[in-house]
Amino acid sequence: MQTNNELIKIFHGPQHPGITGNMSVELDLLGETIKGARTHVGYLHRGFEKLIERRTIIQAFTIVCRICVPEPDPNEENFARAVENLADIEISQRAKYIRVMVLEMARLGALFLWMGGQSGSIGLGTIGQWSVHDRDLILDLFEELTGGRVYHMYIYPGGVRRELPNGFLDRLSQLLDYLESRLPLYDNVFFDNSSFKKRAIGIGVVDANEALKNGYVGQVLRGCGIKRDVRKDNPYLVYDQLDFEIPTFEGGDVYARAMVRRGEIRESIKILRQVIKQMPEDGLIMQKIPKHRKFKLKKDDTFVATESARGEFAYYMAGDGTEKIRRMQVKGPSLIHGFTLLEKLLIDEELSNVAMIMNSLGICPPEMER
Amino acid sequence: MNTKLDIKGTISPFNAITKLFEHPNTICYPSVKKEIPKGYRGFHTNTLTDCIGCANCQDVCMNEAIDMIPIEEDKNPKNSSGCIPRIDYGRCCWCSLCTDVCPPSSLKLEEDCIWANDNSNNFLYMPKDK
Repeated sequence: MQTNNELIKIFHGPQHPGITGNMSVELDLLGETIKGARTHVGYLHRGFEKLIERRTIIQAFTIVCRICVPEPDPNEENFARAVENLADIEISQRAKYIRVMVLEMARLGALFLWMGGQSGSIGLGTIGQWSVHDRDLILDLFEELTGGRVYHMYIYPGGVRRELPNGFLDRLSQLLDYLESRLPLYDNVFFDNSSFKKRAIGIGVVDANEALKNGYVGQVLRGCGIKRDVRKDNPYLVYDQLDFEIPTFEGGDVYARAMVRRGEIRESIKILRQVIKQMPEDGLIMQKIPKHRKFKLKKDDTFVATESARGEFAYYMAGDGTEKIRRMQVKGPSLIHGFTLLEKLLIDEELSNVAMIMNSLGICPPEMER
Repeated sequence: MNTKLDIKGTISPFNAITKLFEHPNTICYPSVKKEIPKGYRGFHTNTLTDCIGCANCQDVCMNEAIDMIPIEEDKNPKNSSGCIPRIDYGRCCWCSLCTDVCPPSSLKLEEDCIWANDNSNNFLYMPKDK
């Protein structure tokens, strides 16, 4: 930073409504224009990776969902799949379908929550009230299925913890009809809104080559027109048996990322409809797993990845033949987007665009401070 | 900057006005309460005639929220330790692993989940005998 008092330093966050969690961005401003940006985290350190090393496998299971608050299920799925790889457990087809259903419901919920945040960041408060209400209807179904609204703790090594309640798939189908009927309204008020387009087009532009070179994931990559999705590139569970597209958009800006998410809402609904149709009626939801202190992982390591609503979530897990996990490392989309990309994108942008750009990148601090 | 007038994009957001005449989705809590679904993870219950005092729940609890407390009245002759679990709701994360590992399935979660108190000692909760 210069010392001739030309630049003003402000902290955007951690107590700012436009920040996407407990973090802050230190900005050097020349008038309203940003000349320097540095990401600061550390307001939330919870040390998940270290905590997990001190706990047995079953105890560690309850921690992983807390790595991402708006979308805990990809973490549960990653953890469960990594443990299953290291303990040689094969889950049933029915459990796989239930997991896909939970993951897609979580994706829908997270996308509706994002819509509230993204529209709120440019002052369109009404949309946030609608989308958070629609997300609440998804959470109601989660409550019925798992017993919890936000932290579901449902996807468990060996399968899933509870059987579907009676008539659950019918209720899910009705909810999908309702959500689908709401989409034209969101198009009218948000995605086609000229005030959103004027704010978002040409802002926070990511170059496609840079995106590939630096390892950006999710909507940031797909917003540059690059078709990358773990569900297609490296299918897990039953995604290879489902028919869906990967929405992409050209431009690499905030609007492109919003349009990718708009497409993903429709694809998620499409996937859920297929899951409802193809769900096997029979099959164990939970394989027999060893008891608490007797559950041991073999001496080996594994790498698993899941496509979350914000991009690729990957876990590296190493076992050492004991009841505890030797090492577990989390690779989420936020670290690379929140440090490397955000600091670069904010240069020469207006102060009022900071919240909008942050929301479009899908940055979530707990996942940086895991 | 694109200066072309986007007529559709300017008019379409006014669709929101139609929602002014719809019934609100919010409820007037606490006079109107939302129905809690069956299987919701609320407070613990413990069937004392079944509890064997094995402390499996205490062992599995990662938050160390469960203490085994000596019972005053022995309701189950098979309770070899003479202790039953007490939950610290300042620490509990409602993962329900304790109910999963309970051999006689005496420890369960009920749907009741409302608790407000200004004394932290009152969060040491003795599960209801059900």
